[in-house]
Amino acid sequence: MRFAFYPGCAALAIAKEAYRSTLLLAERLGLELVEMVRANCCGAGLFNDKNRELNLTLNGRTLAQAEEMGLPIMTICNTCFMVLNRARAELDRDDYLRDKVNHHLARIGLRYRGEVKVKHLLQVVVEDVGIDRVKGLVRRPLRRLQVGAFYGCHILRPSEAVAFEDPDRPRSLDDLILAIGAEPVDYEGRTKCCGFQLDLVSPHLAYRMIGKRIMECRDRGGETMITGCPLCHINLDSYQGYAGKEVGFKLDMPTFHLSQLLGFAMGFSEEEMGFAKHLVSPERVLKDRGLL
Amino acid sequence: MRIKVKIKRCDPTGRGGCEPYLQAYDVDVKEGMTILETLMWIKENLDGTLSFRRSCRSAICGSCALVVNGTPKLACKTQILREYEGAREVVLSPLSNFRVIKDLVVDLSPLWDKIGRIEPWLQPGSEPPEGGWIITKDEVERIDRESRCILCGICNSGCNSQEVDPEFIGPSAAAKVYRFVGDVREDGKRRRLERVSGPHGIWDCSRCVMCNEYCPKRVEPMTSIEKLRVEAIREGLVDNAGARHVEALVDSVNRVGRLDEAVYTFRSLGFLRSIGMIPLGIRLELHGKMPLPHIFPAIEGIEEVRELIRAVEEEE
Ligand code: FES
Repeated sequence: MRFAFYPGCAALAIAKEAYRSTLLLAERLGLELVEMVRANCCGAGLFNDKNRELNLTLNGRTLAQAEEMGLPIMTICNTCFMVLNRARAELDRDDYLRDKVNHHLARIGLRYRGEVKVKHLLQVVVEDVGIDRVKGLVRRPLRRLQVGAFYGCHILRPSEAVAFEDPDRPRSLDDLILAIGAEPVDYEGRTKCCGFQLDLVSPHLAYRMIGKRIMECRDRGGETMITGCPLCHINLDSYQGYAGKEVGFKLDMPTFHLSQLLGFAMGFSEEEMGFAKHLVSPERVLKDRGLL
Repeated sequence: MRIKVKIKRCDPTGRGGCEPYLQAYDVDVKEGMTILETLMWIKENLDGTLSFRRSCRSAICGSCALVVNGTPKLACKTQILREYEGAREVVLSPLSNFRVIKDLVVDLSPLWDKIGRIEPWLQPGSEPPEGGWIITKDEVERIDRESRCILCGICNSGCNSQEVDPEFIGPSAAAKVYRFVGDVREDGKRRRLERVSGPHGIWDCSRCVMCNEYCPKRVEPMTSIEKLRVEAIREGLVDNAGARHVEALVDSVNRVGRLDEAVYTFRSLGFLRSIGMIPLGIRLELHGKMPLPHIFPAIEGIEEVRELIRAVEEEE
């Protein structure tokens, strides 16, 4: 299985551990990733706040690049996944816009044809690799570890554009938590927003969102969380201290990237998976469960 | 088919105030039966004390909004068997983000206040010309989605920003603002944009997509908010963190093709608030995560990105 790999800006900078663990995991899963080194930032939706055509043109460039490579795109970021798919859906639906965008793209010798698929690592793992295959690769079952799946918004919605799973009753992450021997924790905010887009705009709103999500998970017995999005991870992990102050509670919830926890269960070490990069260390929880 | 319908109830006149509890009713449901029909059947045959709102029964009045298995929907537009099949149960609750008055009835007055505050009427600068305004098809289509809103409150119930900030303008009122900002006859465009550019305004939307996903009329309020942001920036209303955030990102992409986090943080927050981020910066640094400014080499093919940005700007 080959993919045009679009890691996204966060995984290339602040969340490098997501990038590195993905490369190791992909090899183990037999995924061949051809990195899109010429691809630009998806804009995280903000291009739309400037000029809708700018959004479609710059993301059209990425989509057209993948079409030239003849490969489906794989991202490891919910927001890249949503933004690329939303642009794709708009271009596919509106001939007038597509012609306009292609007119721009012609200046750089590209053309969007409407053939490319954009997938998320989570989707690739459950749809292309398969849960059984994942089970078979587990070397270190994460027994008794209580993991809250944090889906986040952009991997599920707008469901028409991202076309992944039921946005109200997703189960892919929970199925994977079971597959690696851990126990999924159900809690209210699992498909809600981490607040990332407000971090620098209205930080207190973002902190409240983060605080709420973590408290909801904790109240249902969660001792760690897992997410397929490096932006959600930045908030749940790096901003957890601020969130704790906002909700008046000392939070201590280690959060894993999807690739990290799968990789760890498949036998990669905590160094290889980059756990030390997290601000909230998972060491104590993993030791308590006899996993370190 | 006989199923259990669980309803989250509360009665403020009873003992314990409005302490919510779940009550289950056994109902024979038929193919095609809506949730509203189910509620009406329960009220008529099992329990006259059950309270809910409804009027038109045809997805026009917006009265019957509630939460079905965690998702806000119109009771009259939702078939109960489809919901049952998906979740193997049906749990009905009142809309979120509003105070419950009784059972499934919530106090929508904060929504009316927000709608009222945006002055939901056309404010043309002059009398219509002789023979009336001539509006083209394109000009109508520009505000067609926003005109469809039935004020049911579903978007507000799902809105993640409103959940943490009850003062947030909310998707429905924001969409309504665009309905007038986008109207060619409107004269108060700038004033309207100024008002929504402040605290609790359009820049506080976290882009969680809930409103676009659940609006039963496909108004797509989040898209309206994006359009308002475009208009606000065009009007030069850029002295706020939200607009600076957008400009910083576009600049960064123009310069290196991707997000230069450190510069972006600094420019979005401004100098003073950036200083507040130093403790976090130090912790990130200790974990080898600190983004450093300007260390990114531009991506391969950056000229292409610049060329495209130029092309779109020229057109504008
Ligand atoms: S009863 Fe009028 S919208 Fe449902």
